[in-house]
Amino acid sequence: MKESTNYLELANSPLMWLAAAVAVGVVVIQSVVFFRKSLKAAKELEIPKEQVNTAIKSSAIASIGPAVVILVTMISLIVSMGAPISWMRLSFIGSVNYEAMAAGFGAQAMGTTLEKLDPVAFSCGVWVMICGSLGWLIFTLLFTDKMHKVNHLMSKGNAKMVPIISAGAMLGAFANLASGNFFSAEGNFAFGGAPAIATVVGCILMMVLSKLAKDKKVNWLREWAFAISMFSGMFIGYLWSMAA
Amino acid sequence: MNKQYYSETYIPSIIKWGKLTMLLGILTSFLPALVVSVVFGHMPPVSAIIAGTISQISVSGAFYVVEPISYFPILGIPGTYLTFLSGNTSNMRVPCSSVAQEAAGVEMGTDKGSVISTIGIAVSILVNIAILTVGAVGGNVIISAMPEGLKAALNFLLPALYGAVFGQFAIARPKLAGVAVVIAFGMNWLLKNNFLSFFPGTPSYVVILVAVFGSIFAGRLIYKKELQD
Repeated sequence: MKESTNYLELANSPLMWLAAAVAVGVVVIQSVVFFRKSLKAAKELEIPKEQVNTAIKSSAIASIGPAVVILVTMISLIVSMGAPISWMRLSFIGSVNYEAMAAGFGAQAMGTTLEKLDPVAFSCGVWVMICGSLGWLIFTLLFTDKMHKVNHLMSKGNAKMVPIISAGAMLGAFANLASGNFFSAEGNFAFGGAPAIATVVGCILMMVLSKLAKDKKVNWLREWAFAISMFSGMFIGYLWSMAA
Repeated sequence: MNKQYYSETYIPSIIKWGKLTMLLGILTSFLPALVVSVVFGHMPPVSAIIAGTISQISVSGAFYVVEPISYFPILGIPGTYLTFLSGNTSNMRVPCSSVAQEAAGVEMGTDKGSVISTIGIAVSILVNIAILTVGAVGGNVIISAMPEGLKAALNFLLPALYGAVFGQFAIARPKLAGVAVVIAFGMNWLLKNNFLSFFPGTPSYVVILVAVFGSIFAGRLIYKKELQD
């Protein structure tokens, strides 16, 4: 029993914070370097300063909601894996589903579960979280600079084709992500559930607001349209779940 | 306007830094594991690490390849490096990339679009890390101060986010949006009713591939005319 409570002291020790901070530091450095290079490129491409500022502001506004969701789910991970690892993993390649699963597989390989960790099982969980995500890092490291060939293949070198490919990829990817909200547990279509309502409201509102912002050239609405749609969809979905 | 700057200066230096930071990311991600195993002396048997990793690969393996390729037409080279080091792809990076481009009024897939997208993604990473840092250090205090209603409501944020990103593109290309919905819903129906179980593993990677590349292909057919002018 003493062992099983002890591992959290290790997991939350200053040395773990330091190790995690180095890894998070790499992510911060990458973002800052890319950000500054892109600002310079924006200047060279003669993108007006106001346009760049609008992009920065709208992305910051849009980030807050999802970041709070990640924060809330991070707490569930902190309970079993400690704060430094959870913080590092969710600032890094991770997503909560993946991390909880990977840590669980690590614990399982040591014959236990996340609820009953000892120091060695905790350690195994950390190893599996890291090793299991190497695939994304290695694939991106090796192939990112060669992937434009895939794009080129699809566009057949026609520059006008490129925005259509992006739109197709976007619509396909997000129709797929959203579709999970329109199924019952038995695999039938279900359009009346609260997540489905949230999705539909978010979608319709975004269509209306972005058209309005574009046609009437309302600048503040361009920046806020996404956040307004997202939070309204969330709120109405929540009300729907309360009423149901 | 300096047209060569993007392809001859910006992208090469992004690739150089991208590879360097990915490599550093791979190496530094092992630090916490080394601290527990070497400094604290709790090294698990290698066979257990391998067994756990294989379990994880059987779930995620296909996504190592499918995700970067599927999102590449949206993210471009700089965005792909940023996204796959920092994670949270579909719930943050891709939405922020498209929101930034929409707000700045640049076209996706162009040089300008790629630069603005990179700025948007970098900002979203820094905001994410700032909020998570406050949360990890302040931990339970913040969460317990959050009203229950808000926590319950946050369950519906991601569904609304997926809808909003979809809506942003649907308004510009409604026909393609309709086709994408039919493909995605159809494929998910097949998946959920076990018609895809002849594929190895959990075949949700098949669904993503068909949804993304099916929609791209449909876009080519639908907008053929637009391309000919």
